[in-house]
Amino acid sequence: MRPYLLSVPAVLLIIGILYAFFYGVYYTVLNYAATNPSPSFVGIDNYRSVLGDALFWRSAGTTLLYAVAATGLETVLGVAIALLLNRSTLIGKTFERLLILPLMIAPVIAGVIWKLMFNPQFGVLNHVLGLGSTFDWLSKDRALASTILVDVWIYTPFVAILVLAGIRSLPREPFEASDVDGASWFYMFRRLMLPMMWPYILVAVIFRFMDCLKVFDAVYVLTAGGPGVTTTTLQIGAFEDSITNLNYSRGSTYMFLLWIIVFITARYLVSVLGKAQRRAAGAGA
Amino acid sequence: MNEFTRSESGLHVPKKKVARRSLLAAMGGAAAVPMLYGCGVGTGGGGGDDAASANGAGEVTGSFDWKALDGESIKILQTPHPYQQAFQPLLKEFTELTGIEVQADLVAEADYFTKLNTELAGKTGAHDVFMTGAYFIWQYGPPGWMEDLKPWIENSSATSDEYDFEDIYEGLRTSTRWDFEKGSELGTGGQWTIPWGFETNVVAYNKKEFDARGIALPETFDDFIQLATDLTDRSQNRYGVAFRGSKSWATIHPGFMTQFSREGAKDYTAEGTTYTAAMNSDKAVEFTKKWVDLAKNAGPTSWTTYDYPQCTGDLGNGNAMMVYDADSATYPKQKAGASAQAGNLAWYPGPAGPDGSYATNLWTWSLAMNAASKKKQAAWLFIQWATGKDAMNKATASTFADPTRASVFDGSFKQTLGDFPGYLETFEKVIDSTKIQFTPQTKFFETTEDWAVALQDIYSGADAKSRLDELAEANTDKINA
Repeated sequence: MRPYLLSVPAVLLIIGILYAFFYGVYYTVLNYAATNPSPSFVGIDNYRSVLGDALFWRSAGTTLLYAVAATGLETVLGVAIALLLNRSTLIGKTFERLLILPLMIAPVIAGVIWKLMFNPQFGVLNHVLGLGSTFDWLSKDRALASTILVDVWIYTPFVAILVLAGIRSLPREPFEASDVDGASWFYMFRRLMLPMMWPYILVAVIFRFMDCLKVFDAVYVLTAGGPGVTTTTLQIGAFEDSITNLNYSRGSTYMFLLWIIVFITARYLVSVLGKAQRRAAGAGA
Repeated sequence: MNEFTRSESGLHVPKKKVARRSLLAAMGGAAAVPMLYGCGVGTGGGGGDDAASANGAGEVTGSFDWKALDGESIKILQTPHPYQQAFQPLLKEFTELTGIEVQADLVAEADYFTKLNTELAGKTGAHDVFMTGAYFIWQYGPPGWMEDLKPWIENSSATSDEYDFEDIYEGLRTSTRWDFEKGSELGTGGQWTIPWGFETNVVAYNKKEFDARGIALPETFDDFIQLATDLTDRSQNRYGVAFRGSKSWATIHPGFMTQFSREGAKDYTAEGTTYTAAMNSDKAVEFTKKWVDLAKNAGPTSWTTYDYPQCTGDLGNGNAMMVYDADSATYPKQKAGASAQAGNLAWYPGPAGPDGSYATNLWTWSLAMNAASKKKQAAWLFIQWATGKDAMNKATASTFADPTRASVFDGSFKQTLGDFPGYLETFEKVIDSTKIQFTPQTKFFETTEDWAVALQDIYSGADAKSRLDELAEANTDKINA
């Protein structure tokens, strides 16, 4: 067998991915919709239409707010939980195993569960918290915060597990030396652990931030983007154009613009990660 | 019995009776299919005359025979629903009758139309028959995703003499027929689906509670609002009336569109082929304000997430005193053991309009044939059986409410109704004025979801008049684009 034949599966896979991607991009310059099954070339009309739509910019703002808030909360909580679990107590080990449970639930199912719990008439939350039957978790003022809460519930364990794995891979010597020198726990955390942990934390941040920019399932189940357009994210906008309204070209334009946003953000965060890794390895930034 | 053979288009035709001219026509039709696809035109009727000629019904000749396709198999796409559940045990009877195996794939209702949209757009023909609603004809018909069933009904070789299509309520037959022309009324053009089960939108209420407190049923909308408000006691986790409020077109069509029509409001006015959105007319604005206030003062607290399962759930649990929604959606809650309030419920038509109108919006679950199906004759046999008298009569023995056939409704359904106070009287009161109250148009789902978003905005504090003006302007642009 020729060695280059070994690359055939990978090449085919890349062609398969790129074909679908570029076909989607091709749609963005057509006026393809169910009501127009014989599309024609329209140039940048779809881009002009989407970028000129106030809802697109509002959705972009909502998506960014969601991503920053959810990623920030998940990172802080994830690191805190990882530090707690790092102690090898029985409780720590038990929680370590329980922690993975939310991750085993599909986000769409988690959305359904939380929607039931949020229900003021029969939901458990208002009952347990003594909020009565008038406190609406999914009202206009609270819907975005409630959807972020669900995201935090599902994905904080992911950050915690990733960070915990990082903590356990750190060398013990610097900590033992600092301990002998009488350094406080907080000093060791700030001066030793955190700098060495940055690459792990950043990996978690990148994963979560990218995922949050693409958030759809749990939000759609909980609010469908409402009330009004309060929780409409870019993905929900794209879904409504492509699937509900069957306007494939406009939906593809929405998705391509989202891809550009995610791509640029990912490139930036990966470069930050590279610097952090070099710094953690002592190579200097 | 005739011998049957499979034609190039996948249909089974009798060997002996194919005339030379028919054979040539059939071959021409079969050859045209790939060309039509190449032009981006489906094999349904949406593509006009060329596409209509690709309809497979003309290839079926000879005498009708249920066993014509013995050994064949088809796939159907359904959503779990009382209608589907009532028919599931009967599928084996279809197989015994025809020799055709049926694989029924189920997708939850929340995701059903997403799945269906994607599949039909892909034109894979993975499912030969699918459940759908009448409004979907306006979206699926024009791109040619649905087979026109009229030629099948009219072909005595494909359809049993006993089928009796006219037995299906006229309003339902009309609602599933359209010519896709902007400004055209329903009832013209192809027969895109066959009505299978349907529902009128009326009020179900907790009779036990009403009787205990000596409450009379309100006849006007203002009295209805007052009663619902009086019945609301948040401290007891009890509220007056449940109706849908989620961000979906489905929020508009049941109670809202019914009462909207009764109050004399219209969604659009048409002048020739130009539509003007009228959901900001004086009557519409006044009604919308009242409807949203009703939701705030006497509706479920989390109204903007409410679909029919939450509404009927609250009625069954005793949290909601009334539900303004489909009669067949509340029907199962009265069945013994089905809910905490089973046996305590009753129905009435809801408030009449100022002129005494009981205009009621209609929803019909119906069966459609995928235009991309490669087993159209078998698919038609299934649709014919499922919407026929025998099977529908048997289905009404379980949870199949509101059969679409007058003979079944007047016969077996009335006998199984039992202790459902007011159900039959309500049905008979509104049935003559029950029809699709919307103006048919291809942007229905987009514009109607926008309507629901506007309701949510008003619920959240936006000014009703200016928000509806904004909606009407946007919808007028969209619908005439």
